[in-house]
Amino acid sequence: MADHFAAYSFVDRIVEYDAGRRARGRYVVPADIAAFPSCLVAEAVGQLAAWVAMAHIGFRGRPVAALANETRFRSEVTPGSTLDLAVDIESCDEHAVAYAGRARVDGTDVIELVDCLGPMLPVEEFDSPAELAARFDLIRGEGAPAGRFHGVVAPRVVRTAGVPGVSASASLFVPESAPFFGDHFPRRPVFPATLLLDAQIGLAMSIAAEATHWPAGTKPAPSRMTHVKMRSFIPPGALLDIDAELAPSGADSAMLRLAARMNGKTAATARLEVIARAAHP
Amino acid sequence: MTQPEIKKEEILAVLPTVSATIADALGCDLEDVKPDASLIEDLDAESIDFLDMVFRLERAFKVKIPRGKIVENARGTLTEAEFEQGGVVTDIGLAQLRSYLSEVPPERFRTPTKVKDIPRLFTTETFCKLVVAAQREAKAAG
Repeated sequence: MADHFAAYSFVDRIVEYDAGRRARGRYVVPADIAAFPSCLVAEAVGQLAAWVAMAHIGFRGRPVAALANETRFRSEVTPGSTLDLAVDIESCDEHAVAYAGRARVDGTDVIELVDCLGPMLPVEEFDSPAELAARFDLIRGEGAPAGRFHGVVAPRVVRTAGVPGVSASASLFVPESAPFFGDHFPRRPVFPATLLLDAQIGLAMSIAAEATHWPAGTKPAPSRMTHVKMRSFIPPGALLDIDAELAPSGADSAMLRLAARMNGKTAATARLEVIARAAHP
Repeated sequence: MTQPEIKKEEILAVLPTVSATIADALGCDLEDVKPDASLIEDLDAESIDFLDMVFRLERAFKVKIPRGKIVENARGTLTEAEFEQGGVVTDIGLAQLRSYLSEVPPERFRTPTKVKDIPRLFTTETFCKLVVAAQREAKAAG
């Protein structure tokens, strides 16, 4: 169980805690990894909310990624940064947790999550309640040792069809095994929604880069993601069909509709807003 | 909890926002969200969509809609044993359900009706009633 609380855990310490209401936490992004995508920053915020929610109901249930109405991308996080995480719990009971949150680096917002909702499922299905409770005590106390995350290998994505600058379809091959499955989750491995979203953003940005309506001297960058909805658990080894379709929403912006299907059934949907930012030489 | 009598004008007052919210949550066209549309049968809603719709309606109307209690509320004053036996709605339970979901066309009620299939009956108007009931509760609470 070397990967448990290591391969996909992004809260080292909870530094402020108001039971069932709010919390602040920290996570040190290891300096020796290649990158820490924005989706993992969002995952860190979501995990802090999950700790507050699980503790609030005595580790009987855990929230699973389901709905994120809006995620605002402010800036990139570089390896070696320390994330200052904060969540406000709007409501939390045996059914669901509703929350908002953000992450900062050196006092500057890097990501904001607005109107997120995670349905609670029985903890025993995914993890050991006792081990979760012990981990919670650790991160609320002295904190967990940093540097146990060694990065994630992005799943293989093969573009299969599309119209450059307009739409694209691709196959996403979820690995049969990966360290993160040992942490997400030990009793029921599930491909993290945030890794799916990262792959979908990658596909979307490749279309956006092909689009020709951007003002000279600019390039597209993700601005916010809305309407994120996870409909299915994605198991190891799954084959997903992912699609992205771009519609310009202005001279310097575009909206992309994203979808992922598994066995012909919609597994996830989201929208990505992309805006023009000055291209650095 | 008994279902308060909800007037047509109360439903019409919230219908545009409820319909728009449902369309946004389901990613469908607004014109497809008719008042008597079955959210599951006609609009392909799944359980996660119900959670989403309730979440969005709470924000749109600034009310609290208890999650996981829609079916429980449909039971009215009946005990669980009176309402269902072995996952199947009893005759008296079905009468209560027809009364609670008076907006649902009668032909959509099946005999027997399984408890797990009750959400299949929910329509746009059902959610309008949920909102109106929540607004009343909020008003009563001051």
